[in-house]
Amino acid sequence: MKRSALILTGTVVGLVGLLGYRAMSPSLPTFVATPTSSSSSSTTAPRATTTTTAAPPPKNSTTTTTPARGSTSPQVPPTTTPPPTTTRPPATTTTMAPAPAASRSATGASVNYIYGVLSVEVTASGSKISKVKIGSINDGGNYRSESIDQMAIPQLEQQALSVQSANIQGVSGASYTSAGFRQSLQSALSKLGL
Amino acid sequence: MGTVVTIDLYGEGQLDERELVRSVDAAASVLHDADEVFSTWKPQSPLSRLRRGELSMSEVPAMILDVLEECRTARRLSRGWFDPWSMPGGIDPTGLVKGWAAQRALDPLREQGLSGALVNAAGDIASFGGPAHGEPFRLGVVTPADPNRLACIVESPGAVATSGTYERGDHLVNPFTGVATATASATVTGPELGLADALATALAVAGPPGLEFVKAIKGYEGLVVETSERFHASDGFPMMECFLKRPRS
Repeated sequence: MKRSALILTGTVVGLVGLLGYRAMSPSLPTFVATPTSSSSSSTTAPRATTTTTAAPPPKNSTTTTTPARGSTSPQVPPTTTPPPTTTRPPATTTTMAPAPAASRSATGASVNYIYGVLSVEVTASGSKISKVKIGSINDGGNYRSESIDQMAIPQLEQQALSVQSANIQGVSGASYTSAGFRQSLQSALSKLGL
Repeated sequence: MGTVVTIDLYGEGQLDERELVRSVDAAASVLHDADEVFSTWKPQSPLSRLRRGELSMSEVPAMILDVLEECRTARRLSRGWFDPWSMPGGIDPTGLVKGWAAQRALDPLREQGLSGALVNAAGDIASFGGPAHGEPFRLGVVTPADPNRLACIVESPGAVATSGTYERGDHLVNPFTGVATATASATVTGPELGLADALATALAVAGPPGLEFVKAIKGYEGLVVETSERFHASDGFPMMECFLKRPRS
């Protein structure tokens, strides 16, 4: 319903030099731009009409309700007859629909943050982020950085999840590593097509 | 200032991306300029030179005079709980400058036809508009004892600042004793982030009694979260959701 999209994000690290910005691909469900959502709904609509037109044949409904029996060989031969094949595609699309729910993960680009380099790994099922963690981090053994990392990184991981679940746009009280974390997070999300 | 700032733009429809990129560059310039002038880490910054007595008040950039004027206002409004003149090592307006700079960084982003923008300076957030037209920004506030969790979600009235010990160690100094201290974390909301930032610092040091001075300032509201998760908020605090276990006291 929300038409707005997070369209650009800039990062100023340490206020001393780096400004990284990038055009954002729709990253979270709430950020989905209207053109894509309308086009996807229009493509799903025709499929819905084909399934309803395919629904009238009683054979189709029996094959979909009995997927376990469908694996048996006797039912395979009928697929060679023209009418069943036209009714089959809707059945396969409906079984494919849940498939994107399988979880997949991607590691974002390694980015510089104020004390070193880090990358973020994101796991998602469907369009939902299920896990966010640090893929790699190298802070050169900086003592101060270590203590900050230990505190800040679990915090940022949690924040990435709560930002999604709570539908918030920012966190007050966040920390040093946030810019790098966020940058890598975004590239991981892009890789996942989120 | 040694901190991290993120700038997020929200919009819809036809927007000139090159123009937007330019506005983000301009916003970043505001922050870099402020850092050049106010950094207490850079020995040659005008503020550092003022602190060492190498520059007099008549020689410093106008930006410093503006900030010190705002610091005086914040000191008065916080009844002395925010006091850059009582810091160890000389005058230190850091508690206000970060928010002040982030607030100013918002200006180049205003005339771009956006539905809203956020400048998040390490957890102190200046904003205008919202993620969509007619919709406010919802911002999470972390708990002081466990930064893995959100204490609450607030509706941003333009500025949300949080101070506490959980993030950067004991960086808050009680101006009356000179001792580093913080009873809890404090969040202040209001129209302008410079003052909100200073008040959040003051409120974190003063604790729940500090809500009295926050309440007296028009447009500003405060929240104090103790490490026990007991919390205290002014009546108008724009809390949308609360995740704290202990009730308001």
